[in-house]
Amino acid sequence: MGSMFRSEEVALVQLFLPTAAAYTCVSRLGELGLVEFRDLNASVSAFQRRFVVDVRRCEELEKTFTFLQEEVRRAGLVLPPPEGRLPAPPPRDLLRIQEETERLAQELRDVRGNQQALRAQLHQLQLHAAVLRQGHEPQLAAAHTDGASERTPLLQAPGGPHQDLRVNFVAGAVEPHKAPALERLLWRACRGFLIASFRELEQPLEHPVTGEPATWMTFLISYWGEQIGQKIRKITDCFHCHVFPFLQQEEARLGALQQLQQQSQELQEVLGETERFLSQVLGRVLQLLPPGQVQVHKMKAVYLALNQCSVSTTHKCLIAEAWCSVRDLPALQEALRDSSMEEGVSAVAHRIPCRDMPPTLIRTNRFTASFQGIVDAYGVGRYQEVNPAPYTIITFPFLFAVMFGDVGHGLLMFLFALAMVLAENRPAVKAAQNEIWQTFFRGRYLLLLMGLFSIYTGFIYNECFSRATSIFPSGWSVAAMANQSGWSDAFLAQHTMLTLDPNVTGVFLGPYPFGIDPIWSLAANHLSFLNSFKMKMSVILGVVHMAFGVVLGVFNHVHFGQRHRLLLETLPELTFLLGLFGYLVFLVIYKWLCVWAARAASAPSILIHFINMFLFSHSPSNRLLYPRQEVVQATLVVLALAMVPVLLLGTPLHLLHRHRRRLRRRPAGRQEENKAGLLDLPDASVNGWSSDEEKAGGLDDEEEAELVPSEVLMHQAIHTIEFCLGCVSNTASYLRLWALSLAHAQLSEVLWAMVMRIGLGLGREVGVAAVVLVPIFAAFAVMTVAILLVMEGLSAFLHALRLHWVEFQNKFYSGTGYKLSPFTFAATDD
Amino acid sequence: MLEGAELYFNVDHGYLEGLVRGCKASLLTQQDYINLVQCETLEDLKIHLQTTDYGNFLANHTNPLTVSKIDTEMRKRLCGEFEYFRNHSLEPLSTFLTYMTCSYMIDNVILLMNGALQKKSVKEILGKCHPLGRFTEMEAVNIAETPSDLFNAILIETPLAPFFQDCMSENALDELNIELLRNKLYKSYLEAFYKFCKNHGDVTAEVMCPILEFEADRRAFIITLNSFGTELSKEDRETLYPTFGKLYPEGLRLLAQAEDFDQMKNVADHYGVYKPLLEAVGGSGGKTLEDVFYEREVQMNVLAFNRQFHYGVFYAYVKLKEQEIRNIVWIAECISQRHRTKINSYIPIL
Repeated sequence: MGSMFRSEEVALVQLFLPTAAAYTCVSRLGELGLVEFRDLNASVSAFQRRFVVDVRRCEELEKTFTFLQEEVRRAGLVLPPPEGRLPAPPPRDLLRIQEETERLAQELRDVRGNQQALRAQLHQLQLHAAVLRQGHEPQLAAAHTDGASERTPLLQAPGGPHQDLRVNFVAGAVEPHKAPALERLLWRACRGFLIASFRELEQPLEHPVTGEPATWMTFLISYWGEQIGQKIRKITDCFHCHVFPFLQQEEARLGALQQLQQQSQELQEVLGETERFLSQVLGRVLQLLPPGQVQVHKMKAVYLALNQCSVSTTHKCLIAEAWCSVRDLPALQEALRDSSMEEGVSAVAHRIPCRDMPPTLIRTNRFTASFQGIVDAYGVGRYQEVNPAPYTIITFPFLFAVMFGDVGHGLLMFLFALAMVLAENRPAVKAAQNEIWQTFFRGRYLLLLMGLFSIYTGFIYNECFSRATSIFPSGWSVAAMANQSGWSDAFLAQHTMLTLDPNVTGVFLGPYPFGIDPIWSLAANHLSFLNSFKMKMSVILGVVHMAFGVVLGVFNHVHFGQRHRLLLETLPELTFLLGLFGYLVFLVIYKWLCVWAARAASAPSILIHFINMFLFSHSPSNRLLYPRQEVVQATLVVLALAMVPVLLLGTPLHLLHRHRRRLRRRPAGRQEENKAGLLDLPDASVNGWSSDEEKAGGLDDEEEAELVPSEVLMHQAIHTIEFCLGCVSNTASYLRLWALSLAHAQLSEVLWAMVMRIGLGLGREVGVAAVVLVPIFAAFAVMTVAILLVMEGLSAFLHALRLHWVEFQNKFYSGTGYKLSPFTFAATDD
Repeated sequence: MLEGAELYFNVDHGYLEGLVRGCKASLLTQQDYINLVQCETLEDLKIHLQTTDYGNFLANHTNPLTVSKIDTEMRKRLCGEFEYFRNHSLEPLSTFLTYMTCSYMIDNVILLMNGALQKKSVKEILGKCHPLGRFTEMEAVNIAETPSDLFNAILIETPLAPFFQDCMSENALDELNIELLRNKLYKSYLEAFYKFCKNHGDVTAEVMCPILEFEADRRAFIITLNSFGTELSKEDRETLYPTFGKLYPEGLRLLAQAEDFDQMKNVADHYGVYKPLLEAVGGSGGKTLEDVFYEREVQMNVLAFNRQFHYGVFYAYVKLKEQEIRNIVWIAECISQRHRTKINSYIPIL
């Protein structure tokens, strides 16, 4: 749990993997998911790396798998998920897998090709039969005789040699969308020396490749002359028509038709046989494919990781660099030892110093994951920065609940989340693919807390579906008021509004034990009372939240060893925030505690006091809250304003001072160093790699030398302006708590008044009311869930998110890090 | 057309323009070419292309990988993109895109006719046709025996029909006639396209007209160069030149009289644009006239992307992509033929 507060210590580790054991080591690391490999060959292009041949082989195999998968999908089968944990296979197994899949793929290809050919043949036969059948129909016969009767005289006119000229036929089928173009082209190219008749096929045929039903146009072209015939054949070829022999005698056609039917029957039998064999082969594919895919995927991942390693000068081992959590180092060592034992040489890992910022690693469990997710969505924390997630666990649901305060709505949300939490281990729930559902499911613990806190704030606001509950007796007594002021019947009849005066004894007995007194829900000034309360509450919560954020900054400064910032940044910031807005909170609470109903007429106004505080003025009509108030206020304002220059100039001046001091100290040292360097020239290589600390120190100095005063000053100026203006605007921003809780209360009030109250007031008879209430309650329930729970819930969630990201986290959180993404097979295993 | 394309251009064509600019960004960079040139085998080339925007376009081919497969796949990709543009385009952009396909259609028709003349099977030649210039009636081209046959039967319904007015003749189609037909078609096509761009006005005209003028001049030079030592008469030659461009009219008349390369060069000397180009021929690296023109074309096309709100980007993108395909094919050829000395003479796209 300690790791929640800041990210874990992560070290750069150098792994020496003996060439023989490198594969097993990396595959073991992939199973464990401990380390993130750094690419040591970034400058080498993809195809020049060491294991590119193996990667290519894996890819080759994956291609075959894709083919098999595609075939399985086409057969309408579903691949079962692989069973059990499958480790990456040893490299020598690749050959076996490859051989098996290749054989299977070849077999499948053959069978599929056979099936394809048979189907095409069948299709052809069916088309042919269809064309012949169409030829029977009287329309064509009519066209035929018609043509003959018209043309006969023309043909006979030249006489002699053309006497025996016969009409020839071309029959075939074409896709419907090509038919018009074909018809036009035929007409143009042959100048009308033909008669073409197109008809659509009644029933669609199965497409031989896709298996989808497709309609066809059959055509019958009658023409004269061989030249035209050749042209027609060319044209039909170019439109990819199926052309069939067409016999002129009807009996011959019938005979052919019968023959065709017989053929197609035989063909269908053969096709059935082929399909049975195909399903056998597919069955074998189903067995082989899922584990094979996982294994090869892992293998490829291993080789890709190995590609990131560099080769040692002796070629005996591979050198990898990886980020690894310090806590996992023993596990890493053990894993390496175990997996390299067989080869006799052991792989070793040792820490090396590093100047790059390590990645951020924060371990989460299923409860904290969603809260960490909220923080990470803004930005992954810098390495070892204070992590706001643990505080978010409480503050986020709480701020949400302030805006969503209603016992009923909270309870519904809580129950929904509870159902998800209780069912979280069921496989059906886990496997659900719906994206929206997954979003809710991932945030189930967040929803649970949000619901719980909403119930609490609902009790504070005393609202359950906008109705007040009176668990305890109210603190106000109407009876006492009526008795003491002697309201007559006439007075009561005339006045619909009556005032309860807390100054009359017995009317106000004391504050309600918990939350808002239910009597306020009857009062006409209900809203103004609640507004005042919620507004002040928002400011108080806001100032506390922001001050907490500033305080969290302290842990950052201490951890990163920037103690000067404690004094020069955190202190002025806290003084500024608390001196101005903390004082406002003090005024609010002081007035709640010390100003009573008896003095209500002359109660001081906090607003006027606060404005006067900045103007250093005094309004005589506004009574002081406490003696010497003006002196205290003036001191606070001066103090707060005095903090602005400290904040603005403190850090830059400190840095400059330190920098200059170091510069003054260095020249002497530098010269000596140079001298030493010249003298020790032969040992330069040793010196250059002497101690890493010294090296790091030297680099640090260089960094300091790059300190640009204007840049530092500019940065600090921006920070100062942002903070000081931010204090004002952020405090105002917290008023959204008030606004949204008001909106929520009013919306639920309206829903109750406009729907349920009308329904309840409808019929006095039990039967009528019962019948009418069914649809009305249904409407009420649906609208409650849709508008108040979902819509309002989302908007409150959004505003709570904003308050955390902007108002809270900008006080201390930079979020400029990057996540540790370990090399792991986990995604493949799922 | 109204002036001020920026006011309304994006209503109709903004999406496609954005898309085409995005596509342009995926052209291979200089670094990619450097890596490609280092490849040892076509498989290496494929692996490297996978790291670019080409992605897995070669993933599903069956071994072995050949240059023509790469070429076909790349063309298919380009064609897919172009089809997408075309299907989503509105007038007048769709007309513009149709004009763009016309040149490929002309090439395909001529290719098919040549094939028919040499009695090659249609299937074989279809494979060589550019997918951008594909149309349904294309395969029927070989039934035509004269140009007017060709026009009346086949091309009358295609966008090529208007370009045919000048080439109606009853001459039998032999090799020379087909070449003449191609050049005449091209001439009227370029003139029509030029007129279209000019009439469209606005930035489109400002960008496209220089590109088309260059195209016309290039054709004039190439026709002149190819006609040396053939039976083509000088008058006939002059009728093949597109009648616009920087060379029109004086330069064309001079070109028509040219008898060898040096005389052609003399003509080009009168023009500031073409003088350096023709001087570069045969110089360092043994560049051919074609290479020089390609380089110049690439330059102009890249510059087209500097202006906004015009159709020229579509033209420029397709041309650049084609150049890229030519480059990759060149490199792939050099690799597969182990002829590495010339591998660097691809045309860099800046």
